[in-house]
Amino acid sequence: MEIIEVDAYYLPADFRSQVNAFRTEVYQDEDITIHLKIPQISRPFVEALTDHLKKRRETYLASLPIGKIIDVLDEASRRWLEKDYPPRKLALKTIPAITHFSREVVEASIDVEMESSLREDIWRALCSEIKNPLFLDDFQYSPELGGYSRAFGPKLILSIFSENIPALPHLLFMRSVLLKAACLGKVAAGEPTFAPLYLKTIEEIDPEMAKSMAVLYWRGGEEEIEQAAFHQADAVIMFGGVEACESLRKKIPRGVKALLHGHKLGFGIIGRKGLGRQGLEELAARVAYDCSMFDQQACLAPHIYYVEAGGEVSPQAFCRTLAEAMERLNLKMPRGKISPGEASAIHQLRTKYELRELNNEEVLLLASPHGTDWTIVYEKDPGTFSPSPLNRFIRIYGVEDIFQILPSLKSIAPYLQNAAVAIGDHRERDFIRRLGELGLARITSPGKMPVPSMMWHHDGISPLASLLRWCDVEKKDREDGTEKK
Amino acid sequence: MKELPEEVLDIDQKILSYVHRGTDHQDSEEFNRLALRIFELQVKYIPIYRRYCEKRGIHPENISSWDQIPALPTDAFKVMELAMLPSGTVRTFMTSGTTKPEERGKVHYDGGGLRLMDATIYEAASCFLFPDNVKTTLLIIAPSPEIVPTMVMAYGMNRLIEYFGTSQSRFLIGKEGFDIKVLLDELRRSEAEGLPITICGGSFGFVNVFDYCREKGLRFKLPPGSRTLDAGGFKGKSREVKREEFVSDCEDFLGVAKDYCVNLLGMTEISSQFYDNTLRNAFKGINLPKAKINPPWTRTLVVDPDTLAPLPPGQTGLLRHFDLANRGHLLAIQSDDLGKITPEGFEIYGRTRDGDARGCSLTIDEMTQIRT
Repeated sequence: MEIIEVDAYYLPADFRSQVNAFRTEVYQDEDITIHLKIPQISRPFVEALTDHLKKRRETYLASLPIGKIIDVLDEASRRWLEKDYPPRKLALKTIPAITHFSREVVEASIDVEMESSLREDIWRALCSEIKNPLFLDDFQYSPELGGYSRAFGPKLILSIFSENIPALPHLLFMRSVLLKAACLGKVAAGEPTFAPLYLKTIEEIDPEMAKSMAVLYWRGGEEEIEQAAFHQADAVIMFGGVEACESLRKKIPRGVKALLHGHKLGFGIIGRKGLGRQGLEELAARVAYDCSMFDQQACLAPHIYYVEAGGEVSPQAFCRTLAEAMERLNLKMPRGKISPGEASAIHQLRTKYELRELNNEEVLLLASPHGTDWTIVYEKDPGTFSPSPLNRFIRIYGVEDIFQILPSLKSIAPYLQNAAVAIGDHRERDFIRRLGELGLARITSPGKMPVPSMMWHHDGISPLASLLRWCDVEKKDREDGTEKK
Repeated sequence: MKELPEEVLDIDQKILSYVHRGTDHQDSEEFNRLALRIFELQVKYIPIYRRYCEKRGIHPENISSWDQIPALPTDAFKVMELAMLPSGTVRTFMTSGTTKPEERGKVHYDGGGLRLMDATIYEAASCFLFPDNVKTTLLIIAPSPEIVPTMVMAYGMNRLIEYFGTSQSRFLIGKEGFDIKVLLDELRRSEAEGLPITICGGSFGFVNVFDYCREKGLRFKLPPGSRTLDAGGFKGKSREVKREEFVSDCEDFLGVAKDYCVNLLGMTEISSQFYDNTLRNAFKGINLPKAKINPPWTRTLVVDPDTLAPLPPGQTGLLRHFDLANRGHLLAIQSDDLGKITPEGFEIYGRTRDGDARGCSLTIDEMTQIRT
């Protein structure tokens, strides 16, 4: 039995002495025991910390050139991509033990997150949102304005992490420091270890930058602490359930910008042109990846794949090929352990489909040979969007014509986020336009659903630009305040 | 109502005799014989169940023990009619828990099946709720079967009135809702007359009564022998109340002794009921830990939630029930309740599906809630 002590917090080096009391939470997995170290915190502590973070930002991060910031972030991602990097090796023990994701899923997760967080991605994200990243450093000439503009980020961003995607918290730290904002992260009780490890990496690379970053652990609803944090922040970014986001929205003080990423639903579409015998296995492997990555727990994951009839391969035959791909992927990247409730929900739902299949309805149930590892159910599109119980349970809905699904999507439009589309003929463009109008924020290809680029307008907004404040100087050639005659 | 086939009447007779032997015996051999015979009939009469068993290679002739009988999960009743004699249906009960009628499970009873249920209600209550063999006024915090004909709890409570209640017994939830004034009057009368009463109903109904008493500063001291029977738990309710809190509220607000607060696990899919042993033990002077008890005509197993393989006693998993009185639909039912087998009986920790799902998912209910 290996015992690992790990921090559920990160404090700036010059602030660590402020904590003297800790408690320990113990997580037990098969052969690992995690002792999670959690500092005892109070409202005054949080106020002092946020004050400290803002001061350190003022003296360093606020004037650090954006190019240097990107260097640090790029280097951090590169270190995390090294298989032998000790914090990565540690995270590959702690995250599976606490979240019950398989080690393979966590490893894949770290890789996809970090691979999309390298220098070029960061530059492109900045360019896509604010055209010229140097606006963040100083006033830059803007030909459209015919003057000079500069972008100012928030002083302090509070980020509330979720537990459903290992290694995602780094994205919110990256966004914060790119805006030259100090950042305080609140880890999720369900996955509290990655964020502190990531900030230690930042500290290794640029100790001064790390002094404006911190991670704390508190339970949602700890009013005192939460209120202190909200009142100190200029912006709040949150990932969480619909209800958690709604209740938080009410608590955030007026004037504090809030980006709330509530739970969303994804789906995929394969048109008849896309269903040829050639490339079928490849397509199935891609769909299997969409359904299996993060054990389907990300907002990005599909609940349903709509498959159009009339192609060279029938939707049912596609399901059978998909089943092989799901099993192959499960051997390579096993699903994590799930709770009794999650397993029970899968068994209950499987039985409903199995009975309908036995009743000679046009229904198919294909399931992992063992336990609840993966499930595929096929039926004709019933006209309503039914969420999956997750954990690699995918519904395949057969449709005569792909445009028929639009009404059922419309009924849940506010919750739709992400779709993989492979129609493959002239209708694709029109269909994508309709999805855009419905409110989707990202349309991609099968196999790409779990890995959005850093350039993505997350939930339809510009995650960086929307937190900026601009200052425009309407003076043209001379900087002494006099206009050229 | 159609006449039931001879072989069904025959097995019903045997089950009835077995149930009416009461709860103080452990005739496992007869239980096994009856279970296998019921399974044989269910496989014969319910084609979809037959196919389900065949797919798993299980036939009545190749199993020898009740625990090999394939169980269907409760949700099966949401998609299929799983009655042995659908044309003989005299009563249909529906599961609750969703606002959409098409997603509610339906369990059909033929006349024989209903008689079996009645017998289990009588025998189980005689043992676990009225071991002292008293007749009391039963006040039911639930709507009557006339108002909710498909609610199995209302049906069962009505039977309790018939078997164990005085003529003053009544249902307290009418078309206009719960009239707490009637309950308070009855409580005062019981106090004044010194005649014990029995209050039955949904667990959450009791909590509403306690909340009301707390708010109004009311406390009752019901005469000794008064008792409560609550069922249903707190599924789908905004507030969870711990069992200890519930029992101490019963004592504080109603003056009902702790051991006389009895909880019952009842399920629409299961004809029999599983009572706490507290009142029976108190009455018999037995000092044993609290548990839900399997009356002799039932068995409960705990299975691994992922593989559904049986687990040894003491381990936590999903409860799987076997009930001879389920002759009319399915003997073996896989619940989604989490629990474990104890030396006395079993413990239930509640429905697994409430609130332990992770991930970025939404239920349709959640979506409709937020939108309205």
